Amino acid sequence: MLTGAAFMVVMLVGVPIGLCLCIAAIVYVMASGNPLLFQSYPLQMFGGVDSYGLIAIPLFILIGEIMNGGGITKRIVDLAMAFVGSLKGGLAYVNILANMFVSSILGSATAQVAIMAQIMVPEMEKKGYDKTFAAGLTAYGGMLGPIIPPSVMFVVYSVMAQVSVSDMLIAGIVPGVILTVLFCLVIALMGYIYNYPRADYQTPRQRIATILSTAPTMLIPIVIVGSILGGLANATEAAAVGAIAAIIVGKYWTREFQFAQLPQMMLRAGIYSAIVLFLVAAAAVFSWVLIFGKVPQDTAAWIQTVAKDPVSFMLLTNVILLIIGTVIDGVPGLIMTVPILLPIATEIYGIDPRQFGVVVVVNLVLGLLSPPVGLCFFVAAAVTGAKPGKMFVVTLPFFGVSCILLILLSLYPALSLILIK
Amino acid sequence: MVDQTIATHTPLARPYRLILAASTRLLAVERLLIMGFMYLLTALILLNVATRYARVPIYWIDESAVYSVVWLTFIGASAMTRLRLDFAVSMLTERLSERGAMIAKVLSTLAVIIFGLALMTMCWLWMDPVGLARAGFDAREFAGQTFNFLYTERTQTLGWPTWSLYLIMPIFAVSMTIHGLANLIEDLELAPKASHPSFVLSAVDGVN
Amino acid sequence: QAKEFRLGLITPNGHSWNKAALKLADRLKAETNGRLTMTVFHSGQLGNEPAMMQQLQSGALDMGFIQAAELGSRVDSIAAINAPYIVRSTDAVAKFVRHPAAEKLFDVLPRETGTIGLGWGITGMRAIFAAKVLNGLADIRGMKLRINPTPVYRDFYSSLGAAPTPIPTPQVFDAMSNGQVDGLEADLEFSWNQRFDKVSKSILQMNAVFMPMAAVVSGRVWQTLSPADRELITKAVKAILNDQINELAAGEPQLIENLKGTGLPIRQVAVADTEAVIAEFDKIWLPKAPILAELRKVGATL
Ligand code: NA
Ligand code: NA
Repeated sequence: MLTGAAFMVVMLVGVPIGLCLCIAAIVYVMASGNPLLFQSYPLQMFGGVDSYGLIAIPLFILIGEIMNGGGITKRIVDLAMAFVGSLKGGLAYVNILANMFVSSILGSATAQVAIMAQIMVPEMEKKGYDKTFAAGLTAYGGMLGPIIPPSVMFVVYSVMAQVSVSDMLIAGIVPGVILTVLFCLVIALMGYIYNYPRADYQTPRQRIATILSTAPTMLIPIVIVGSILGGLANATEAAAVGAIAAIIVGKYWTREFQFAQLPQMMLRAGIYSAIVLFLVAAAAVFSWVLIFGKVPQDTAAWIQTVAKDPVSFMLLTNVILLIIGTVIDGVPGLIMTVPILLPIATEIYGIDPRQFGVVVVVNLVLGLLSPPVGLCFFVAAAVTGAKPGKMFVVTLPFFGVSCILLILLSLYPALSLILIK
Repeated sequence: MVDQTIATHTPLARPYRLILAASTRLLAVERLLIMGFMYLLTALILLNVATRYARVPIYWIDESAVYSVVWLTFIGASAMTRLRLDFAVSMLTERLSERGAMIAKVLSTLAVIIFGLALMTMCWLWMDPVGLARAGFDAREFAGQTFNFLYTERTQTLGWPTWSLYLIMPIFAVSMTIHGLANLIEDLELAPKASHPSFVLSAVDGVN
Repeated sequence: QAKEFRLGLITPNGHSWNKAALKLADRLKAETNGRLTMTVFHSGQLGNEPAMMQQLQSGALDMGFIQAAELGSRVDSIAAINAPYIVRSTDAVAKFVRHPAAEKLFDVLPRETGTIGLGWGITGMRAIFAAKVLNGLADIRGMKLRINPTPVYRDFYSSLGAAPTPIPTPQVFDAMSNGQVDGLEADLEFSWNQRFDKVSKSILQMNAVFMPMAAVVSGRVWQTLSPADRELITKAVKAILNDQINELAAGEPQLIENLKGTGLPIRQVAVADTEAVIAEFDKIWLPKAPILAELRKVGATL
């Protein structure tokens, strides 16, 4: 109780979230009257990031930096434009489709929103879209980043659940595609209601030329997947191989990548990974004291009195996660909830840990788009200057279809498991 | 660099100047280390792929890569503090008056400093340098006296003493506190906000 | 006085060690009418094994099921229990870990690790699952082999000419299926649960090494317990581990039946082939862990 209060107070004063978790953990140890835990505290923080699977995170972020520096993002947008540009609401479709392509290279939602908002929002504004809507839509496009492989969150989940990283990454493909389709349906409907503008018309010949000249960007995801399937690398190492592929594409095909930029890219990738990884460390120490205080056990006992079958458990899980996700989302949300919920899911309700992972990850990704703490909106706001709160309101239908996807994933395990051998 | 930014302002008291200068030096070192660990990590992973493919796998690479990431995390987290880059909730603070916002800012910076000091204390309890000195820097003797076996442990494949890797925790605690103090001096408007031109962090910058 | 214990271990729920831990909790509660209770923290919820050791040492954690590899990385004489060909079957493992010689290994634990060892629990003899057909030790030469990265195993498999390759546990299945490694070594229970047979062409029963775990209590906590409670706990732990050992050994024939049912060829290592390997291994490890000589002597009688 005291811990919760301490957490709320420091958070509202504007203390960074990672530190809020660290401070709440200290308060919890003081309140629990077990000061011995203070001796273990630094080691638990260290141990929170002392995990092989997490290596993938800096590498995934580095690929994004190289890709962006090599002008590859812009070409992916062109590629998407050639497919759907001249429809009504063309640039909105382009936004989602380009986000889907980019998702096959990038692993994190916030990084993706940062990159895509810089490109898509000015373009959409030029064509007459409302800036707030454009920024909000890009934030939802970023949702695809951690759902379609590669994915930082699936990596973190597989580390915690001790399931195969590849299985988890593959499990995200079908849900990612369904989400893309659902988003496009919303755009079609909203485009009809609000009369979205069309993009410039391209002749079929222009389209084919664009597709041919931009297709090599897809070499990067192909190299990533190919190095895994070919036995060259595991899912983590494939990220490093992918970074090399991104350098080659950027250097010899788009010719925009310069080695002089590499140190800055390394620096940015390092800092942005530290933001994520420090949250992982903070969440580890926080969940450690909670587990020590048997909060998960008590929660499990309570859940069993409420949920009588797997379906009601899954729906309850979704509700709980959506509530938690308003404040604690993404990777930290994962780290706080999985140790509590996963054992209940697999042992008591017999749910496949991979299906459960997909539901939890998608839910907590959606948490990145729910107020008051919605990192994707914050990032889109930082890049474009639009207001996060307004973004949420004008894009509510996208939130709605995301919830529909969550229900589908909860009810039908096959949507997550069908591609796993 | 610090001297330039301060020159335009009223002269600062000596302790403030020292803290700001220390924070700036520290940040410059952290910048190099962050880049260094990223290069190291990438090189280690690619080396692992290459040597395994060539059927001469190197045993300690995984462990080195993992510890590179751990150091990267905490060095980056320290730098983040000075750059004010971490994600925070602004729903309350952005509704406050200018004076209220300044108070909130000072309070949140104080929280950073308090956590830094707390972490230092916890590292002190854990690493117990005084106890170690009392045991004549003999790890076994120390373990016998205190039940603290920290200095007798080694990592599994590198075989390094684990305490050398754990040192990042006290380093992080100290550097974060210094950055926190530097931020506090700026928050109290005792010195102008320093810019950090060697960090070009376009995207998420200013989210805080 | 009343006391609530916390026991930590890294294996996931459902593992035979976890079942034993839960039984121990039930038994303590029943025998003391609820005066002594125990909460089990599985899957490394309280941290990995080094982190749990640190908490055991400070007294924050009361008990742990800690693998011999972790204890052996701190104490060479404990690492000796991981040495190859001390015993040659899971049945012999079951006898060996309850022999006074194996229990005597715990004597150094308080001084070297700050914990008290109460008894061993086991997994079965480890086998190699390979992407090619293995007929004997000679075929291991040149293989990229995923191993548990404890120094004893590394020395053993290196001496057989394999290139030991560390792969994190959750990625082993993939590493086998896409050819990053040519083989892996693991116990049969784990291998069957992970279905390594699906990515293998043959199984070679090495009958060489096994990975036991020690039920340890924090030395600090132990000091605070009454002699009567210490005895009660020791007895309960021994009884529970006794069952775990018996059940695991009894379950092995069924596991082998299951694996045979997959149609994979299963070969055994010939005893005659192992003498040179033992000699080479002991050249490195006898100086580090002289107790190994005694362990071998005992093992040979079982
Ligand atoms: Na992705
Ligand atoms: Na949220």
